[in-house]
Amino acid sequence: MPGTGSAPEVHDNLVLEPRDVRFDWSRLPLHWIPDEPFATHTINVLHLLLPEGERWFVRVFKEALPLITDEQLREEVLGFIGQEAIHAQAHEEVLEHLLAQGLDPRPYVRQLEWLFQRVLGERPGLSARARRENVIERVAFVAAIEHFTAFLGNWALNSPGLDRAQADPTMLDLLRWHGAEEVEHRSVAYDLMVHLDPGYLRRIRGMVVSGPLLVRLWVRGVRFLLAADPTLRGRVRPSWRAARAAALRGMLPDPVQSLRSGLRYLKPGYHPTQEGSSAQALSYLATSPAARAAVTR
Amino acid sequence: MDRTNPQAPPDLYGRPQADPFMRRLTAFGDRYTPALGSRGLRRNPRLPAPRALPALVLVVTGHRPVAEDVVELRLADPSGGVLPGWQPGAHLRLTLPSGRERHYSLCGDPADRTSYRIAVRRLADGGGGSREIHDELHLGVRLTVRRPRNGFPFCGEQRLLLLAGGIGVTPLLPIAREAQRRGLDWHLVYAGRTLATMPFVEELRALAPERVTLLVGRIPSGAELLESARPGSAVYCCGPAPMLAAVQRALDESPAGTLHFERFAAAPITDGKPFTVQLGADGPTLDVPADRSALDVLREARPDLPYSCHQGFCGTCRLHVLSGTPEHRDRRLTSEERADGALLPCVSRAAEGDRLVLDI
Ligand code: FES
Ligand SMILES: [Fe+2]
Ligand SMILES: [Fe+2]
Repeated sequence: MPGTGSAPEVHDNLVLEPRDVRFDWSRLPLHWIPDEPFATHTINVLHLLLPEGERWFVRVFKEALPLITDEQLREEVLGFIGQEAIHAQAHEEVLEHLLAQGLDPRPYVRQLEWLFQRVLGERPGLSARARRENVIERVAFVAAIEHFTAFLGNWALNSPGLDRAQADPTMLDLLRWHGAEEVEHRSVAYDLMVHLDPGYLRRIRGMVVSGPLLVRLWVRGVRFLLAADPTLRGRVRPSWRAARAAALRGMLPDPVQSLRSGLRYLKPGYHPTQEGSSAQALSYLATSPAARAAVTR
Repeated sequence: MDRTNPQAPPDLYGRPQADPFMRRLTAFGDRYTPALGSRGLRRNPRLPAPRALPALVLVVTGHRPVAEDVVELRLADPSGGVLPGWQPGAHLRLTLPSGRERHYSLCGDPADRTSYRIAVRRLADGGGGSREIHDELHLGVRLTVRRPRNGFPFCGEQRLLLLAGGIGVTPLLPIAREAQRRGLDWHLVYAGRTLATMPFVEELRALAPERVTLLVGRIPSGAELLESARPGSAVYCCGPAPMLAAVQRALDESPAGTLHFERFAAAPITDGKPFTVQLGADGPTLDVPADRSALDVLREARPDLPYSCHQGFCGTCRLHVLSGTPEHRDRRLTSEERADGALLPCVSRAAEGDRLVLDI
């Protein structure tokens, strides 16, 4: 990755647009971090969560569009929507590949569909005001989750441990391309939430509800994948100790740091631009094989 | 999904029961959602309403030729106020007195907060925007300008190769200046028809003459443009579309691994024919001319229609066709989705004179 040490960490007023990436999964090994099924599947949870989750982001933000009064914010939201739609698609393709390799993700995905469509979906029969409140509340959930996606994206861009472990290069590009776009658009959901409701309580509720939910879904996902992996037959058991050990070797983000990062979201003066580097993310996007191939289409 | 089915989905491990965690989440959601809007769970009505930043109204304070067919324009706040800041690579959107809208890269110094500088080449075959700027934007004319936005951000890589084609030099000028200021290893290759048509040559040479190479009088190949690239070089390219395409094609053969360029959302429409769209079975009918997309036309009637990529790959603008035969031009929808009536109006069209009735 080219050095970007001297660049500003924040880029103002970026034009956001989706990139038409493609990945070829035909040669992806089931354990794409060689001999590291636990770390592989801990990251694989992303492929379970993101397609449903990001499509839900897209629906929520489309519902929020009519509430936006600022032209620039509206354009950023539209750029965000397109990027998340492409993210969902890209991770979905990995799921299909898992299924082809004998790991059936569908029981877990069925639960997520229920969560994002039924529990967190649009509800019929609400009054106009309740509907509006619902949209803003869900924007606040998205803003809190986007704090973590930017955290994880920043980690993916700075994860030499994965290179050392000789992780599959296409998967690394997927994680870093996605991570870079997460860093690139890290302020959009937060700015939208503040635009619609500048209240501190809304922000806090967003994190208090979605933070623990995300952790819980992740833990369940790791357990599920390890149990569903046909080559492991339940031999690898998940634990926080294993997660910290993998983090020490640079293969996973550190759970304690992740928790601290979540707490930073609650600080009164918080803004997403305080975390991660736009320069690094944008530079990666100009380097990423998938994003560069998209250009010549 | 069946919304009326009260059953949470089954357990993850094949046990014949609804998953208890999912059941709890469902129960939580069923209480939480209707409670929103009640006291304590709603937007505090005393907080200020969503605000919109207004566009700028600026006055032309400078208008001078800087090369053959190129004028430099300076725009400032009419009362001399400080302008919103910007970073290298940013552009302005001007609304000209005729109502035309045009984007131009900022080519001045970001440290100068009292005026914006742009440079405009007169295009004989353009839509008349550049001619209007050349001939009618005299000193003192006021115009509406959107705040600076950046579609070509500079990331400050240590080793830089800047490739400029003609008027494409404008965003690269502040980038070169910034690179020089930070002491980065930069090189600029500037191609143009004749020296007289190339603005800002002296200004660039004044930064560091040994870092500027001019290629005058011929169209350089991609390989030639990338000749001075070294391992790890980050390339920033701005110029006519064929130049960018040539650089993209030659990049894999060069030691440079990074290519930045300004992205323009909508590709021009090729062999489109005029057709009509109807908004709903008994809604109004709108004409889509040969050179505009259905999405553009629809957005005039429905400003809240979502869209994103303008290129038929993200699926955001998806609509449902009630009747009519679309001519699909996207690369997103599957044949089942198309058979099902899905349409991406940012690119897809219909045969000449046909009508598409859309479910909006
Ligand atoms: S806007 Fe992306 S497909 Fe139409
Ligand atoms: Fe995403
Ligand atoms: Fe995101």
